[in-house]
Amino acid sequence: MKRRLLTRLLCLGLTAALLAGCSNAAGRPVAPAQPGAEETGEYAVSFVDDDGVQINLDAPARRIISLYSAHTENLYALGAGDLVIGGHTTCVYPPEAAPLASFDYTGDPEYVIAAEPDLVLIRPFIRRKAPDYVAELEKAGIVVVSLYPESYEDFADYIRKLALLIGAEETAEQKLADFYAAIDAITGLTARVAERQTVFFEATETNIRTVSEGSLPDLAISFAGGVNIADGAEPMTEGSTIAEYGVERVLENADHIDVYISQRGAMNSGGNLISIGERPGYATIKAVRDGRVYLLNEKLISSPTFRYCTGVHEVARFLYPELMDDLSPWQNDALASKRDFAKMAVRCLHLPVYVPSSSKYYQTEQRGHTYGLFEDLPWTDPDFDDIETAVFSGYVEWERGEDGKEYFSPDSRVTRDELAQALFVMGDFVDAGTHTLINDLAQCEKPRIVQALVDSNVFALADGDFEPDRPVTNQEILDALAFLP
Amino acid sequence: MALTLCWSLAACAEPEPAGGEQPAASGQETSGTENTEPTAEAPKVILVVSFGTSYNDSREKTIGAIESAIRDAYPDYEVRRAFTSQIIIDKLEERDGLVIDNVQEAMDRLVADGVKELVVQPTHVMDGFEYTDMMDAIAPYAGQFDSVQYGLPLLSSDADYTELVSILAEETATYNADGIDVVLMGHGTEAASNSTYAKLQQYVADAGHANYFIGTVEATPSLEDVMALVNASGATKVVLLPLMIVAGDHANNDMAGDEEDSWKTAFKKEGYQVECVIKGLGEYEGVQRMFVEHVGDAIAGR
Repeated sequence: MKRRLLTRLLCLGLTAALLAGCSNAAGRPVAPAQPGAEETGEYAVSFVDDDGVQINLDAPARRIISLYSAHTENLYALGAGDLVIGGHTTCVYPPEAAPLASFDYTGDPEYVIAAEPDLVLIRPFIRRKAPDYVAELEKAGIVVVSLYPESYEDFADYIRKLALLIGAEETAEQKLADFYAAIDAITGLTARVAERQTVFFEATETNIRTVSEGSLPDLAISFAGGVNIADGAEPMTEGSTIAEYGVERVLENADHIDVYISQRGAMNSGGNLISIGERPGYATIKAVRDGRVYLLNEKLISSPTFRYCTGVHEVARFLYPELMDDLSPWQNDALASKRDFAKMAVRCLHLPVYVPSSSKYYQTEQRGHTYGLFEDLPWTDPDFDDIETAVFSGYVEWERGEDGKEYFSPDSRVTRDELAQALFVMGDFVDAGTHTLINDLAQCEKPRIVQALVDSNVFALADGDFEPDRPVTNQEILDALAFLP
Repeated sequence: MALTLCWSLAACAEPEPAGGEQPAASGQETSGTENTEPTAEAPKVILVVSFGTSYNDSREKTIGAIESAIRDAYPDYEVRRAFTSQIIIDKLEERDGLVIDNVQEAMDRLVADGVKELVVQPTHVMDGFEYTDMMDAIAPYAGQFDSVQYGLPLLSSDADYTELVSILAEETATYNADGIDVVLMGHGTEAASNSTYAKLQQYVADAGHANYFIGTVEATPSLEDVMALVNASGATKVVLLPLMIVAGDHANNDMAGDEEDSWKTAFKKEGYQVECVIKGLGEYEGVQRMFVEHVGDAIAGR
């Protein structure tokens, strides 16, 4: 309430006298504390941010605008999504952050001021790029906190500061413990591999730049049990995460690159698996020859968020697919749920996790399912990535309810008819031309598909019946998936 | 038939040498094929205007190949490149440090370079909004040249339709078999010229290719329209090809992507075997030749 009153007074032009009372020696604002707190130095939140500003808050923030997508994502991960009242135009994860009011530090700071936040989160880059914008916020008495972990080692400290700002210290410690445990588990699993895979990580298509030693992608390769063939590449500038490499050196190592990972996102938005393979000389690269070129969204691998863990897991899957995509948990005769099926499909086909590639994703109406909008599948669901990936591949169906919203029904059973349709989309089944007589073919939703798969001996008949509505077991799904090349 | 704007009959017959300093050297990095140095004796330029693509490989195989074919056919002209998509221009500059002119920038440079004789050749499939925008962007400059001649989009005359059908049939001859449908995916437009697709479908049918169907991503005929035709055809296999100059985002994602809303997945869900051919029209030599002919028509005032 005090902050709101302050902001309103500032908006009325009563700036000079008030600001004099809330600026430190460097002239940057310090959050006003409760009366008396300033004298004793007892603040609920007190630390120096990454721009060197002393931050003092008398209480955790309750109306936050985050101008950096990683901050937004981490706030939601810490359970503080309801405290975020606005984000940057690039804040589209988690999906529930996408509808947030959008603010842009290249625009007019008055929009932020008018929204009356009690905290604006930035990073040092923003202060450098838009100093006037940040100064205007500070002049208006808004607490601006700048955070950015320059290295992997700084991640925990960064998360703890973020947690302090929202009073979520306990949650942060648990999330951090889970985060490091998950990465350790990947490292432990891949450490068993006798022959380590060699990786080239393409940071930008331009001049085929890679990542520098100690950067998040470089560490991810290491955590995932891989060898970065560009180890020691010189950073473009001191401290840069991007390093020069060049097509010549890539081709010199053509026979030794087991896996080629191309980062996707704002830094490297061009090309695709086909066009990468078509680059001059690239056909000689072992990874290209073996079909082991992968695209990896930069939000998973280069951004300081808890999703980095997913990025490391993805790299490990690219390197050691059979090890990482273990299907043995489903070798049983329990009836399969759609959740199970999605997980099996992603693992069996080693599908890269689906992540919308554009920050404008939600500005466009999608033809099919819209990422993250299943009413019955929150983004915090442990199988969220697998289910979204299987749905976006067209393997698992979903429904639009009478309320117009999207539903996945993760616990519903998978029928033989559904399995057949999914399998046909996954594989390339040719018309065997045998035309086995199927008694109940007319009851199948896609008779052509069932006919092709029965003719290909993927599905057996029971007394001439396909039994399209019969639920399948986990093992039956595995047996069917085994027919895929 | 080309559109010709000739501001000076004398200049049309015998263009004056360009005055002033010869260009261009913007100091910016440019892609390999565009904007070569003009000579003082022959300040004649063919400006090839394309929508653009951020797919570097496809760009040179399609737009680059068309430009090369035009350059080879008209050695007296300098061939320059312009894109109409500012988003792509910005992306290429930001990502690759590659500076490509938009139409206005290209025109400004032509004027600054003292070019007097200009041929503008769009690589658009038809005269949709992009083509109209291009014409609108050039119009204010026309008075600053002795002659501005416009080559027409790929599908303009009836002969163009006939020729493209012939090229497509030849390029896809291996798929011309019982049980296989060839589906061409165009872009589609809200402009009146969207009728181009229906007209091409008619020419395809008239040429006896009953198993060829044309649809669009963003207009009609829609995927659903084409799906209905394929369902009625009795085919078991569908071959998908882009009916676009460049095999870019639409071809790779909307047509051949592995996602649930791609045409490939849609046809597979209906039970068809699907084969995707990621090859932009600009890769076909026949299409390159058509653009060369359109430039020739413009130069000849046809």
